[in-house]
Amino acid sequence: MELLLERDGRFVATPIKLQLSLAESAAVNPVSSHESPDEELVRSAQSGDRAAFGFLYERYARMVHGVLLARVPPSAVEDLVQDVFLRAMPRLTSLRDARLFGGWLAAIARNRAMDFFRQSKAGIEPLAVSTDREIEGKGGNRLDKAAAHTILAAIRTLPEAYREPLILRLVEGMTGPEIAERTGLTHGSVRVNLHRGVRQLRQILAGGEARARSAVKP
Amino acid sequence: MSKKKFPEEEFGNPYLWDGSGEPDPEVQRLETVLSQLRHKGRAPVFPRALHLGEEEPSSSFLRLLWPRRVAAVAVITVVAVATSVLISRPGPPVAPLPGWEVARIEGTPMVGAHSIEGAKARLAVGQLLVTNANSRATIAVAEIGEIQVDPDTRVRLVQTMRDRKRISLEEGTIHAAIWAPPGEFVVDTPSAVAVDLGCAYTLHVAPDGSGLLRTTLGWVGFHSNGHDSFIPAGAVCPTHRTSGPGTPYFEDSTESFRNALAQLDFGTLSSDSRSATLATVLSEARKDDTLSLWHLLSRTEGAERERVFRRFAALIPPPVGVTREGILRLDQQQLDLWWNALELGDISIWRFWEQSPDRPIPANPQFLQKKEAMLKQAR
Repeated sequence: MELLLERDGRFVATPIKLQLSLAESAAVNPVSSHESPDEELVRSAQSGDRAAFGFLYERYARMVHGVLLARVPPSAVEDLVQDVFLRAMPRLTSLRDARLFGGWLAAIARNRAMDFFRQSKAGIEPLAVSTDREIEGKGGNRLDKAAAHTILAAIRTLPEAYREPLILRLVEGMTGPEIAERTGLTHGSVRVNLHRGVRQLRQILAGGEARARSAVKP
Repeated sequence: MSKKKFPEEEFGNPYLWDGSGEPDPEVQRLETVLSQLRHKGRAPVFPRALHLGEEEPSSSFLRLLWPRRVAAVAVITVVAVATSVLISRPGPPVAPLPGWEVARIEGTPMVGAHSIEGAKARLAVGQLLVTNANSRATIAVAEIGEIQVDPDTRVRLVQTMRDRKRISLEEGTIHAAIWAPPGEFVVDTPSAVAVDLGCAYTLHVAPDGSGLLRTTLGWVGFHSNGHDSFIPAGAVCPTHRTSGPGTPYFEDSTESFRNALAQLDFGTLSSDSRSATLATVLSEARKDDTLSLWHLLSRTEGAERERVFRRFAALIPPPVGVTREGILRLDQQQLDLWWNALELGDISIWRFWEQSPDRPIPANPQFLQKKEAMLKQAR
């Protein structure tokens, strides 16, 4: 695992077992047993601990990636993930309640997605169809990639409330409880939206297959 | 967060929820294909110039080095000294009113009598932010969220306190993204009060004072005129200037269901046509539409309520502790239990909000007992 460490005045991704130092730190400065590990990380980051911020990146990057992927073109997402954390970093001390970090970060990501369309003047709707360049990118089998982008496009036609949990579950591989924990939503809300979203996605994909079958009939 | 079980027939796919149980082949296929798009990025290289908390160095300093009580005493001392200096000086005090930062997105929005010429301005308590057909703006809501203000909108900042932020949307459209604790951010409209229960929603007010609330994430409470409406993600709720919030519904419900609901809420119906309209609502209702049926229980009477109860119970059986008799007499505890069984949000959050000093607490002994119990638990 790569984490952020200060080196020569810059913060770089470094393969290092920082969990050990964090555990040592926790032993020296024990925190309340009611506090979750993430709250501890947020408080450490708020007090200037950049390694803790690095841990937060590791723990929340998938969530931020999924939130962005629900809204902006896939080719732009990785850069925007970094941008979201760069925006969050200087604002972190304004977060009064460490328990709200996930929801706070998700909101920054959603706002960043809106800014992306404002800046690019590409309209307010995310792109429904990926370009060839996006499908070619990052290697991998082109057919599989095309299938992935087709399904992603179908997910993006769903109501906004369903897009995020579906992408976090199916693309980012997070479980429902993880999605709730990372985004600050309730278990009930995530669960309902996951099930409704999958149900609608199945209908859309089934409709697409039926149309494809009818198109090849003589 | 709720950990209650869901009705198996509706949400009986544990694999989709947490990867446990019998794998769902279709979900597995989607996971496999879509995993190619998964986050693979490396941790970013942060520039040295970007410091944690650089936006609020003094706040950070207090947070880091001072125990809160010491900081509070210091702040009180500084305020007392500053106040005595101001009082001793001739002329009006110069301390600015509390307010929020407004950023121009496009055009020339107006704050009070002044247009926002630069990129940013300050919206003080009591001031009005006005956008015309060509302008848009964003408001930074203290440290708890952001509001995007669409064209042709009038928004007034009413209150900004530690635990309560309040604006008034007089006309137009706002998109709110709030990460504060539930109940902290409130929007007044001419026909209802919207209470954020976390997280993102769009609120529109028409020139005649009617409105529409659409929740995209989390859920929102809509209150006025003796009606409480709860709007979870994916649902909308209309509101009318005279009758207040209507019945919320999911946007994927059938058109005939939505039309019939609108007739029940805002139409002028004879007894016979009302009965027929209710029949349409009940026959068209799916499991998801129990959201609407739950609200209809308290908006119907007598035989109508009985019909709503029967359909509701057929779709989502009443949980333990909920009886037909209790629901027909609108026992709040039982209504709350049934609401929580829908897993759309924990209604106790709303009950806490109701107990705030801004609103009178109903003189209902049962409610007061429950409130006491909740407060005791909270302490």
